[in-house]
Amino acid sequence: MINATKKWIFLKISSVMLVPLMLWFLFNLVSFYDKAYDEILLFFTSQPTKFLFSLFIIFAYFYSALSISEVFEDYIENEKMKNVANKLLYLFAIIIPISTLFLLYKLSL
Amino acid sequence: MEDKNPLSPHIQIYSWHISSLISISHRITGIVNITIITLICFWVAFLFLGNSNYEIIQNFFGTYFGKFIIIGTVWSFSFQILSEIRHLFWDLGLGFELKISNITGLLVIFGSFVLTILIFTLGRSLIL
Repeated sequence: MINATKKWIFLKISSVMLVPLMLWFLFNLVSFYDKAYDEILLFFTSQPTKFLFSLFIIFAYFYSALSISEVFEDYIENEKMKNVANKLLYLFAIIIPISTLFLLYKLSL
Repeated sequence: MEDKNPLSPHIQIYSWHISSLISISHRITGIVNITIITLICFWVAFLFLGNSNYEIIQNFFGTYFGKFIIIGTVWSFSFQILSEIRHLFWDLGLGFELKISNITGLLVIFGSFVLTILIFTLGRSLIL
């Protein structure tokens, strides 16, 4: 299987996973966004919301990194620039969710 | 090694159709959404600073601009959800005919506004 096919399959799996997770998050976001600190903290640190939110950000960054790299493929001609952009993108897509999950689990302790 | 892949024509080359409008909007909302998710991650990080510092965030969401940001977020995600479902049907080989494609394109545009209203109305009535 060539890399482009693998990338496409991963993109589709993550998009199927993301649709219900996005809906779940949106319903919750509009219900809690203006609530006080304690209620927001409870939302992010209690189960099953902590687990679902973790899944949501992992799949969201995974899907976005794959999609945005397609945009780079379509519009950046210079190979070196494209490689640098892709590496920065993948670094960003790894660091932000891992840091957030780390903070989330520290908050729960 | 030199890449021989052709580049996509830039967006100003196209004459505008529903399909191109949805395609470009899908990419733009995708980038907007990951920016929003990154801000949500910072929001989680802000919780670490404690209750007294959190008032800044709570006050911001109490303003009209804060509410506009939340409604805009819901619309942007709604658009992406419906557009992604349209893509998944295409992946199954369904909905490629021009007429069907135009209808589903319009459904994505108008449906995103309907879904925004539904999510906001039902979500606000949820009790945490």
